[in-house]
Amino acid sequence: MISPLTALHDPVFRAYLLIVPVSLALGGAILGFLDWGLKKDLGAIWKTYRSWLVMASIGLLFVFAGRIAVIVGVMLLSIFGFKEFARSSGLCRDWWMVGAVYAGIVAVGVASWIPHPSGEEPGGGFYGFFMTVPVFAIALILLIPILRNCARGELQKMSLSIIGFIYIGWMFGHLGFLANATNAYGFLCYIIFATELNDVSAFTFGRLFGRHPLRNKISPNKTWEGTLGALGVSMVLPWLLRFSFPFFGATQLILTGLIVGIGGMLGDLSISVIKRDIGTKDMGAAIPGHGGILDRIDSLIYVAPLFMHMTRYYYPLR
Amino acid sequence: MKSRDYDSVCDVDQALVDRLGRFPREPDILVYGVRALIALIIRGWLRLYHRFEIIGHENLRTNRSLVIVANHCSHLDTLCLLAALPLRKLHRTFPAAAADYFFQSVPRTFVAAVVTNALPFARRVRVRRSLSVCSNLLSDPENILIIFPEGTRSETGETREFKSGIGALVAGRDITVLPCYLQGAFRAWPKGRRLPRPRKVRLIVGAPRSYSSRNSNKIDVCAIAAELRHAVKELGEGNGSK
Repeated sequence: MISPLTALHDPVFRAYLLIVPVSLALGGAILGFLDWGLKKDLGAIWKTYRSWLVMASIGLLFVFAGRIAVIVGVMLLSIFGFKEFARSSGLCRDWWMVGAVYAGIVAVGVASWIPHPSGEEPGGGFYGFFMTVPVFAIALILLIPILRNCARGELQKMSLSIIGFIYIGWMFGHLGFLANATNAYGFLCYIIFATELNDVSAFTFGRLFGRHPLRNKISPNKTWEGTLGALGVSMVLPWLLRFSFPFFGATQLILTGLIVGIGGMLGDLSISVIKRDIGTKDMGAAIPGHGGILDRIDSLIYVAPLFMHMTRYYYPLR
Repeated sequence: MKSRDYDSVCDVDQALVDRLGRFPREPDILVYGVRALIALIIRGWLRLYHRFEIIGHENLRTNRSLVIVANHCSHLDTLCLLAALPLRKLHRTFPAAAADYFFQSVPRTFVAAVVTNALPFARRVRVRRSLSVCSNLLSDPENILIIFPEGTRSETGETREFKSGIGALVAGRDITVLPCYLQGAFRAWPKGRRLPRPRKVRLIVGAPRSYSSRNSNKIDVCAIAAELRHAVKELGEGNGSK
């Protein structure tokens, strides 16, 4: 089980403690060269870069602080991510629904934290409960209009609550559950690093070579060139960072690459669908230069559960 | 199927601290929860550390919109007045706080907006606009406004002259005004001191008044301010303080 005591003795975590700052420094150096060397107009990119520095430090700090810190951190991100969703969709006016979703998110956190009550599962985390939380959360959400004896407009609110809970609370919650894995440092650090790198590469390739829009009705800025470039990066990365999961064979490495490359793009687009329909540009303004929390974690939401279940299919997680 | 509308909040593209600095604020379930929790802690702390006592508690029991007017010599004043009100009124109580002091830095904005639900009051420029925000607030019954008409914390503990804005706010309107006197807050936490001392604090709530029959011309407005100051001071003197 990961904890602050084991973090600095763990070779994988120590490697990422080096990889993350080096990649950020490299990115900064490239930006600096473009800005001062070639005098390109980069717009507000330094603000975005500064936010990357802050987020990377916070992320490493939470992984360093151990299992419970990661679970709580993921839970807080879910809560504030859902809050952005509720605010932009107008669901936040119904405090009962919002309260039910918050309760569900807390239940996801609790299920990732407590051990199996009769000790049938090894290690921390109650996987059986974790996988069934949606049943209880949806039951609670469906119960609310019945308790309040009202029907008008409730279908819309229930649908928004259910997608909000499943997508932002539960699917993203898988990232917290990964903290229970025996190989938690490798999984957590890799999946976060790779997904964010995938986002950055998609942006970079799109800027450099972008010609053909990927889904022009959903997100005008995403291009086939950016997506394919990012997919290429994500397919190579598992081999480069193979030490994160030394027991992975070729199949698993390819699957990891596909999940990160394609899942990251799909996660981005699925939040874009929501934003497009609501009619906002960003989900919030929590992170300067990035938009809201949801705009940043959107790809992770899609990638984390797929990655966790792929791993669980081949190897025991804990 | 006809497309559905989403009723987004109006400040969706603003960061949390900007949202807290504006007024009126959109209700926020998390902010309300944190505020209620902190209010409970503050109530306990006032009772234990400052042996907080309320005289004239019955005057606070009303469901109409209220203006609470009090003397101001410490940051404890707002906390005491909030602690004297029932907990369910917490989110409908708005202490007018100096925009140039409480809403200038991020930590202060957080404390003012989350803990006390403060209304940013511009006391140097565009006072009239702040006053109209206050008066809009009072048109909704059950809202409570806390005002310190001295405009700033007193440095000697003495109650200073009241600004005439308070008169303009209540003159000719059917609003209940409640004069209150805070005793001991100056000794407990005077201006300039970092942390409060464990001194007894007492809140004396006066009888409700109304100025609905008064005009809002300059003379009357100043007279109301002077009358209120007199009422507040009297409460203090009646209970054995200088």
